[in-house]
Amino acid sequence: MRILFVNNLGAGFADYVNIADNTTIEQFFAIKMQDQHEADYLIRVNRMPVPKDYILQEGDRVTITPTKIEGARPVMA
Amino acid sequence: MRKENFMKKQKNLIRLSNLLLDSLNELKKARLQQIQTMMDDFNVKCSEATKDSNLFRTAVEKGWLIGADDIRSKISRNINDFSYHLQRFKEFINADETSLPNFSDIYAELLQMEQEFGDVKFDLEGKFLSVTTDPITLEGIPLGPFEVSLPINRISKLYSDSPYRVIALKPNPASCNESVTHPHVSDEMLCEGEGHVAIRIALEQGRICDFFTMIVNILQTYNPSSPHVALDEWDGISCYDCGCTVDKENAYYCSSCERDFCECCTSYCHSCDETICLGCGTECPDCGELVCESCLIECSQCGSRLCRCCAEEGDLCSECRDIAEDNENVEQTKTDNEKENKNEKQDKCSKKRKANAKV
Repeated sequence: MRILFVNNLGAGFADYVNIADNTTIEQFFAIKMQDQHEADYLIRVNRMPVPKDYILQEGDRVTITPTKIEGARPVMA
Repeated sequence: MRKENFMKKQKNLIRLSNLLLDSLNELKKARLQQIQTMMDDFNVKCSEATKDSNLFRTAVEKGWLIGADDIRSKISRNINDFSYHLQRFKEFINADETSLPNFSDIYAELLQMEQEFGDVKFDLEGKFLSVTTDPITLEGIPLGPFEVSLPINRISKLYSDSPYRVIALKPNPASCNESVTHPHVSDEMLCEGEGHVAIRIALEQGRICDFFTMIVNILQTYNPSSPHVALDEWDGISCYDCGCTVDKENAYYCSSCERDFCECCTSYCHSCDETICLGCGTECPDCGELVCESCLIECSQCGSRLCRCCAEEGDLCSECRDIAEDNENVEQTKTDNEKENKNEKQDKCSKKRKANAKV
């Protein structure tokens, strides 16, 4: 099954990924965002918040955005 | 009436989606133009290599061995340059896999923005889109709400400038710098730090909601290792001389220039004990101590300025005083000599008188 995964962590990317059938959003997060806490991320499926036992469907759009992003003063060359 | 409002809103959203789509097309065009420029540079390097190759072949065929060696050295130098340009060009062209969103994607983004932020403003006349954050408090310091404003026609300037502004609606700026309204915002520009690339890609791909979400998330996070002004110095005072921030209690006020300074940039007047900055203090040429402007007195002889303490011994500087003393000594010696001469003459006269009397 193929879904669109938008990862806004680090460099950020949006790409299609293959996942097993009946994968819940919680399992998907655990696979893709290893060692990360769900509470630190804004998770949306098809632009909407979903419960953690939501089972991902073919063609779903999953967006994961960190809620804490550290700004920084630009380094002068 | 409600239906009319709904229809009007839908119309505005459609118009806004079209505006955004046009601007994203412009951005894509700017990106492609960058590739074109890089490709042109690369072509110049390639044609230089071809030219060198032809020269080298001619030199070898004609038996100009010294000339061939020179060309070989030149090729060797250019090869490093060439491989650098090739690598850069490869990275740049591979990175550009951005697919443009379609109208329905943009429309959905705008609807999502309304769900996420609630307070979304779009001005079709001024062509800008903005969201307002909740009041932000970081480490106990209230910074007020911020408006993140994206002028739509500036999206295409993404590669040369920051296309959006972060405006403090109830500003509580750092006391040492009025333009810093948030530890990571200066002059309405956000320093995106680790969010920089993700924000840029979100905008390139037309993920407008992600773009605003990440900016708001940066505003709600404090990175103590690299702020414009650290929160623990937010209410501090900036030293006018070195620029470092100090607590109000540890700042020193120079009454001469009426500015605040840190401990390192201040001293005191050795004459009146008033606090002065190093810029306002003047070294007394006599004692070498720092004194304030009002404690300086002009030497009546040479005009140089000296402190009150040194001027107490007459309104002359030490140099002029020495000269005056020397002159006094000379005068005294003269007078003494004259007296001596007079006495000698008197002695001689009296001796003569005695001798004459005997005769």
